[in-house]
Amino acid sequence: MGRRNNDRRNQRRRQRPKAVLRARGERGRRSGPAAESFRCTGCRLDVPVRAVGTAHRNHCPHCLTSLHVDARVPGDRAADCRGRMVAAGVSARPDGEWSVIHRCLSCGELSANRIAGDDNARALVRIAVRPLSTSAAARRALVHL
Amino acid sequence: MSFTDPDTTENTRPTAFRCVLCGLSVPAPGPDGPQRGHCPSCLSSRHVHDQVGSGASDCEGRMTPISVVVPRDHRWRLVHRCVRCDELSESAVADDDNPLVLMRIAVRPLAEPPFPLELLGEV
Repeated sequence: MGRRNNDRRNQRRRQRPKAVLRARGERGRRSGPAAESFRCTGCRLDVPVRAVGTAHRNHCPHCLTSLHVDARVPGDRAADCRGRMVAAGVSARPDGEWSVIHRCLSCGELSANRIAGDDNARALVRIAVRPLSTSAAARRALVHL
Repeated sequence: MSFTDPDTTENTRPTAFRCVLCGLSVPAPGPDGPQRGHCPSCLSSRHVHDQVGSGASDCEGRMTPISVVVPRDHRWRLVHRCVRCDELSESAVADDDNPLVLMRIAVRPLAEPPFPLELLGEV
């Protein structure tokens, strides 16, 4: 018994062909309802799906980039676009919660998502002050107040 | 996006529309030429353009302005959300839009930050 084990140990096992390619529609830990993490299309950060303060994380906490996979209902995964969605703006709800507004670089569609507790504060504020930092439009709006 | 279907021809477009929120009668062509997307007084819009299907939408719900976004050309664009079906749309800001309402929407997130802004100096 022990000898056989030794033989096996000495014989190097051939490498298995790679079945998990993390491809589109492929089942694994990265996709499907049991997914635990996703890879950011902007900065390639491996992002865990579970986050503090949100149950529906759809964007990278570091660069706030998202992926266009949902059509009308958040989470329906019905869009065929798969384009990169960049954070275009921030909107505040009546109760004061922020949500990030994403725009798809491929088809121009918009979507909104609540921010999570671990989202990059510096990136969020940079987007929030962008309307005021673009000098001409902000000055025109302020002058005509 | 706009109050009329963008696919329709020029001669079928109405010359004026009535705002769904404040009732203001607004001439449809904006001051800088193209079709107006929202009321210049209260910045409300109506959901007539389907964003996902990119055609006409039969929702006709009122759209409230929720945010100002700035693309690379540094021109403000206004993002609306439909109060009936929660869909988003955006339209360009015209020169005669109410600057008070516009500025209120733009600085609204900074007035209610989810984290103390003083901490950013230490990040």
